[in-house]
Amino acid sequence: MMKILIIEDEKELSKSIATYLGRENYQCDTAFTYKEGSALLAEKDFDCILLDLSLPGGDGIQLLQQLKDDQKTDGVIIISARDSIDDKINGLQLGADDYLPKPFHLSELSARIAAIIRRKQYQGNNALQFEEITVDLLAKTVKVNKNQVDLTKTEYQLLVYLLNNKNRVISKNAIAEAISGDGAALYDNFDFIYVHIKNLKKKLASAGAADYIKSIYGMGYKLTIT
Amino acid sequence: MKLLQKTIRSYILYSVLVLLAGIPLFYFLVHSLVLKAVDNDLLATREILKPRISDALVRNNPAEIHFLDQNITLQFLSVRSNFTKIITEDVYDAGLQKKIPCRVLQSGFTVNGVPVMLQVSNPLPNRYKLISSIVLIELLLLALLLVGLLLINRQLSKTMWQPFYQTLQQLRGYNLEKSGALALPQSSIQEFNELNQSLQELVERNEKSFAAQKEFTENASHEMQSPLAVMQGKLELLMQTSPLTEEQANLIDELADASQRMARLNRSLVVLTKIDNNQYDHIESVSLNHILRRFLDEYHLQIAEKDLQVVPVLTTDNALRADKALIEMLVSNLLGNAIRHNYKGGSIHISTGAGWLEMRNTGAPEALPGDKIFQRFQKQSDDANSTGLGLEIVRKIAAIYQYNIRYDFINGEHRFSIRFNNQ
Repeated sequence: MMKILIIEDEKELSKSIATYLGRENYQCDTAFTYKEGSALLAEKDFDCILLDLSLPGGDGIQLLQQLKDDQKTDGVIIISARDSIDDKINGLQLGADDYLPKPFHLSELSARIAAIIRRKQYQGNNALQFEEITVDLLAKTVKVNKNQVDLTKTEYQLLVYLLNNKNRVISKNAIAEAISGDGAALYDNFDFIYVHIKNLKKKLASAGAADYIKSIYGMGYKLTIT
Repeated sequence: MKLLQKTIRSYILYSVLVLLAGIPLFYFLVHSLVLKAVDNDLLATREILKPRISDALVRNNPAEIHFLDQNITLQFLSVRSNFTKIITEDVYDAGLQKKIPCRVLQSGFTVNGVPVMLQVSNPLPNRYKLISSIVLIELLLLALLLVGLLLINRQLSKTMWQPFYQTLQQLRGYNLEKSGALALPQSSIQEFNELNQSLQELVERNEKSFAAQKEFTENASHEMQSPLAVMQGKLELLMQTSPLTEEQANLIDELADASQRMARLNRSLVVLTKIDNNQYDHIESVSLNHILRRFLDEYHLQIAEKDLQVVPVLTTDNALRADKALIEMLVSNLLGNAIRHNYKGGSIHISTGAGWLEMRNTGAPEALPGDKIFQRFQKQSDDANSTGLGLEIVRKIAAIYQYNIRYDFINGEHRFSIRFNNQ
């Protein structure tokens, strides 16, 4: 069970994050104010902390300082308004691991959390495993059983993103943004995702993997056993 | 026409009119003064002559009385009569051998019981001479006036109007977006001081409303981020619910698209606000060609998706002194537009040279309204992914670094060209 602390004053957002992450192997604590956050940080250890910078009762940056003073190495992702880029620089200098501006896709947040936790906890073990599919995140190679699967960069990104959000529906918008960033807006439609998914599925199948990637009514995709 | 020219023109016109009207006025005045003087002279002469005529009559035979002066004649009358009249009459002058205007006094009176008529004439100054000398004097006056007015005017424009021109200069260079207070000169002239004060107040009011508008956009785009994040999160959770019908899935899908568009719009607004607030101030040397190549690489999937033929001719690189993030936005927006507003199988030509960048692409078959495309929300396409803020961002970045950006429609292609003047 991975422990996550969500320090975010927007209760509904905090609740959404907790629900989304709760479906995976995460246990979430929530803090809505600076004080609550500070108390929880002092009290417990977490695998990853999601930190909003503008909190009632204080600046989130100071919580980073508190972590540093306590010599804690919890992974921290700043989730904050996009217009505080100076805070971003400050935050990353003070030891935040990542920065995700609002609004963000929960699937993206989940992928970032997974990446940080892997980095923090499984040093040396950079493999993602799902049934017969193994992804080596360092070498960026994919194997089905022992068979090497030759994927394009985009197909590889897609597979990792799906694995980081397994058992959950990922929207096409989130996928487009994950593989194209801001350039996602330049596509006329999401046909390209369909093409990449189709190719990925074909390659995995021919390497001997079962069909785990499901399209959900054209709304999004889901990697699941059933 | 300059204000000073306008005033001096009026002055000159008025002076000419006054002086022209002065010619007859002077003439009649001088003329009547002369007449009066001559008449008095004539009457005085008569009074002087009276005792002398009387003496002469006592001593001499009346027939022997002659005057040395040709202008005086004495006649003996048969009847007594007592009269005085003064007339103007042309009299032949033997010396000049022509008729000249004279003032003639004819007076009948009785001397020692003898009725006589004395006629004394006095030449008048030549009428034409009088008029011409008046005109001459007037012309002289006019010339003096004009020269004086011109000199005074020039001096005034040099000194008195100086604060006005300084104010004008300041206003020309004033840019609300770049702010910086207006430093208007103090003047010894009340009107200019009032003008400057009013301008100062106007500018302050404008700055206040501009700041308020900026703050509003800033607050609005900031405050929008949390609810957007909530909405996006809830939609993603909604996607996880089951059972889910196809109808529901489609509705969620459409909602997700709308919320994504809103998120993009918000992102652009935040960028605009940050540009307005000068938050991109990390100036460094930025290689333009490097950034162009990076975005060509970043967008290669989108380019491939549309079968676009991209022709980069990146010969001379430009090392721009700028905030890298801004140059990236400039390039990504221009290149993004060239991709977005292109048709399948179209082309994009990108070229750079010393101090310039040019990007032209195929697309809509007619020119875009050049005066509108750089304004916010002036969308020229029905593409839902277009925020309508991209070129506004480009324009603002160009304005910050005083780059010259222009749009042309040439040979069926849309061309954006930028000159990096001050590099």
